[in-house]
Amino acid sequence: MRLLRAALAVEGRKTAAARVTIATTVILAVGVVSIATGMTLAARSGNADVLAKLGPAASIGGWEGLIAVVLQITAAGGVLAFGVVLSWMIGREFDDGTVTGLFALPVRRDTIALAKLLIYLLWTVGVALVLVLVVALVGLVLRLDAPAPGVGILLLRLLALTILSALIAMPAGWAATLGRGVLPGIATTVGIIAVAQVMVVAGTGAWFPFTTPALWALSPGSVTPYQLALVAVVPAGFGLLTMRAWANLQLDR
Amino acid sequence: MTTRIFARGLTRQFAGGAGVREIDLDVEAGEIHALVGLNGAGKSTLMRLLLDMLRPDAGTVHIDGCVPAQAPWSRVGHLVENPLAYGELDARTNLILAARLHGVAHQQASDMVDGILGELGVARFANIRARRLSMGNRQRIGLAAALQHCPDVIVVDEPTNALDPAGVILFREAILRRAQAGAGVLVSSHHLDEVARVANRISVINGGRLIGTLDPHGADLERAFFTLVHQDDERLAVR
Repeated sequence: MRLLRAALAVEGRKTAAARVTIATTVILAVGVVSIATGMTLAARSGNADVLAKLGPAASIGGWEGLIAVVLQITAAGGVLAFGVVLSWMIGREFDDGTVTGLFALPVRRDTIALAKLLIYLLWTVGVALVLVLVVALVGLVLRLDAPAPGVGILLLRLLALTILSALIAMPAGWAATLGRGVLPGIATTVGIIAVAQVMVVAGTGAWFPFTTPALWALSPGSVTPYQLALVAVVPAGFGLLTMRAWANLQLDR
Repeated sequence: MTTRIFARGLTRQFAGGAGVREIDLDVEAGEIHALVGLNGAGKSTLMRLLLDMLRPDAGTVHIDGCVPAQAPWSRVGHLVENPLAYGELDARTNLILAARLHGVAHQQASDMVDGILGELGVARFANIRARRLSMGNRQRIGLAAALQHCPDVIVVDEPTNALDPAGVILFREAILRRAQAGAGVLVSSHHLDEVARVANRISVINGGRLIGTLDPHGADLERAFFTLVHQDDERLAVR
């Protein structure tokens, strides 16, 4: 436990100082809300192109409309952003050559991998909270109608979607380990997004864990609790695979 | 005498024939054992095997009498290839994190880092991010990370690469101090004159095998080295 604490302190310090994590936090929180605000204002003005892009969200308006747009953008962009950061957190050790310094230590390599994943999850919770806070502030600044009781639940759904998006991006960490670099992780993230789109079109619905968070956030009634619980298989499975890959790692390439 | 590093029959072959074969190597407590060889001779592969970065096809490694799975890694310091220096962190923070990874408590890490910053002459870079440092100063940070916890076993691969003459002298004095305190040091280098100044024993590696030793106090180390290597190459060519 003492060595896990040390590994957490090391990974936490690296993550807090990294430009990648700071930039991604800003892009996700400020970028997503800026786009959503712009689209909401454009929809308010009756812009036909934006109305077509927003689909059913355009007709809602008010707080619900703003959050619906943010949910839509986060569902698409969140997985990419989180996958890139996790790929970097793990793959940079190989690209920068620092991985040699992570051998021959009392802290085991699977403990280092676990610390990386825990810090990643902690960071994603922080990003989700910031995103929710910024959306709430924008709603107040735009002087949207007085929030209905359902708005709190919508904001909680945004919080959950952001965290779930981070969980389904976790294969990126395993790929970055097996591929010994950042790019294999990013390629895997793009693959997850592409396959998820195909599965939605193919009609597998919410049984495919990589599509479940987005379907649930945009239309909660279409997803059963069992289907939502199935999402946990992704972080649990790929988290264990990543730790195992680090435990068995050899610098043979 | 305590044997800090003990390797017998160490073999690891890669596709294409590269790797090391049947290496027997000892590093005793208080000894600086130098490993010299041409590029691609197998020095780094051997060091990776000793540090559990690679698993051998055959043979055994013991660190302070223990197999790698039970080795006292907190008492080992190493620098193989790239220094453990994260660009986004300053030199001091990098060293504190390296100390934590070696099991040093947070409270003690700060004093330890102050000590090594002074010893290796990097105190003036303490608050500069590693990405802004020259290659030589990043190397000093890597060496500081390997030496700061005064390990019993030290493995350093080409440690003086990119160091300026002042850095070379500071490093030489630092490992001599640690060897005098009982550490076993394995150091690889291309610089025969540099090795001769510090090593108690010099082993020559060629084509992935240890082919002989050199006398650190010998008159013409360079000639002796190339004679050994050429004889070995000729022997292999005859086969």
